[in-house]
Amino acid sequence: MDNVLIAKKQSRAHDLKKKVGRSKFLILLGLPAVAFYFIFCYIPMYGILMAFTYYYPKRGILGSLFTSFVGFKNFDTIFKDPYFWQVLGNTVFIGLGKIIISFVAALLVALLLNEIRMRMFKKSVQIIVTFPHFLSWVVVAGFVNLFFVTDGAINGVIQLFGGQPIDFLRNGPFFITLLFGSDIWKEAGWGSIIYLATMAGISPELYEAADIDGATRLQKIWHITLPSIRPTAILLLILSVGGILSAGFDQIFNLYNPLVYNVADILDTYIYRSQFNDNVNAGVTTAIGLFKSVVSFILVLSVDRIAKLSGERGII
Amino acid sequence: MKKNHVSIERLPLRPRGKSANARFGKLDIVLFIILLVYAIIIIFPFYNAFLISVSPEYVYNETPLLLWPRDLTIASYTSVFQNENLWSGFRITMVLLVLGTAYQMFFTIITGYALSRSNWFGKNFLMNMILVTMFFGGGLIPYYYLITSLNLHDKIWVMIIPGAIDTFNMLLMRNYFQSLPKELEESARIDGANDIQIFVKVYLPLALPMIATVGLFFAVGNWNSWYNAMLFIKTPSLWPLQFVLRNLIITGSSNIEGTITSPETYSQGLVMASIFFTIVPMMCFYPFLQRFFIKGIVVGAIKG
Repeated sequence: MDNVLIAKKQSRAHDLKKKVGRSKFLILLGLPAVAFYFIFCYIPMYGILMAFTYYYPKRGILGSLFTSFVGFKNFDTIFKDPYFWQVLGNTVFIGLGKIIISFVAALLVALLLNEIRMRMFKKSVQIIVTFPHFLSWVVVAGFVNLFFVTDGAINGVIQLFGGQPIDFLRNGPFFITLLFGSDIWKEAGWGSIIYLATMAGISPELYEAADIDGATRLQKIWHITLPSIRPTAILLLILSVGGILSAGFDQIFNLYNPLVYNVADILDTYIYRSQFNDNVNAGVTTAIGLFKSVVSFILVLSVDRIAKLSGERGII
Repeated sequence: MKKNHVSIERLPLRPRGKSANARFGKLDIVLFIILLVYAIIIIFPFYNAFLISVSPEYVYNETPLLLWPRDLTIASYTSVFQNENLWSGFRITMVLLVLGTAYQMFFTIITGYALSRSNWFGKNFLMNMILVTMFFGGGLIPYYYLITSLNLHDKIWVMIIPGAIDTFNMLLMRNYFQSLPKELEESARIDGANDIQIFVKVYLPLALPMIATVGLFFAVGNWNSWYNAMLFIKTPSLWPLQFVLRNLIITGSSNIEGTITSPETYSQGLVMASIFFTIVPMMCFYPFLQRFFIKGIVVGAIKG
């Protein structure tokens, strides 16, 4: 009996050795990735412990943990701060708004491009409208500023027609509209590509059959095109839900100013400014970041679960 | 796999048969007009910004919404081309573009290849390790202190080293390798090829289209990089182009050290000329490279 066990153990060890030996090269190729993800993703996760301390950079994470552990006090501080709730509200509003608006915009562009029959025209339009995706928000913010400052082009037109100039960039509702608008300008064309590719995969027989039945083009879009891209659309929506609380740091950070903080400050910009401009303790800013990560994670899990329960393909 | 290679160019396989709808109808004209307006909305800011960059100040002040050129001047561009900060930024960005892209490609490709091969010891471990990071992270502040303790502050490496692997691009690579036939490996082995030869001589050449796509994604990312510089780089001579541009836009270029202003230059004109300085290279290449980008996102989305 013992012998059998030992033999089994030995053979298992032998198997493992063989397996390692056979995959030596692949292990070698995989090792840098293990090191990379460990250092740049997992060590920051360990850094989450900072959220439970009053953090002293000189003492490091463990040092702060032993000498200035504060438990959940940082979270108490955050949750009691009305401004945090305002920022959270802004984040959800902007993040959710962007998801919905960019979804609709991308879908619309894809439908338009899918229906147009002039191939050269279609190709050119596609090159033009996908280009802004590759600009940085620094450049796009430069354009937005150029057009919407008080003495800029848009106000020039308004005054031409006898209107009063509007301070778009310092007026809350206008600023939020600009956020959504510039997001569509930059990303709708690029976002349409996936839907367009999915539409290309729809069997032409479906359309032929519809033709025979005398369907109009709008009917074909409604009854064939849209249902066919539903799985892709739902998949992309689930994926984007994880990003609600991110809401676009690059865009907002390059566009906003203190006068619109009350509507445009989001968690990421709030964390950045608290840490680097307002000298808030890193324990608190880490806690805000942790809150964001945890809520995002829960959001993804729940949306995935809901999608699966309603019979769609999930992601996890 | 071939099926997933739907390129956008081949799309409009709509039946052009006898049905009445197949003829050029009212709807086609409406579609045409909508798309035309959309394209104009995208192009117009570029056009207007360009006109501003080549117009003198009084023309801009009279009509900020320039529709056609009047009294052209190259004063803004002369000033921008003499701006040492922009050139310094350009040099740093070139370093990021060449070194950074090569470095990222290397690690992303080998990781993607390793994860595409059939079961090897540790593959699942690595895959799970990566999946977790897609849904959860430590956030900005712990990352900031990590960079501090790695002593990378204020060094050009901080804009290169932490970008070794981009999970999305890596998965694109992996999916592409996975789609290549496994039989190639077997037959190469029978011919006596070793692991390295199979990787470098058999699979790498076949994956060139996806390597081009991923390389372009990395290159654009490096060209546009400014965030890491803002967080970690205090020495102005190490700032990349986009970050120099950002400071220019925010402070208004006339206050910026290194900008040579003359009576003919004005803030908006200088800013627009600087913006064109940074986007002209992309505008030149993009129309020819667009299909690579599209292929990448399409394959990635359908398979990932």
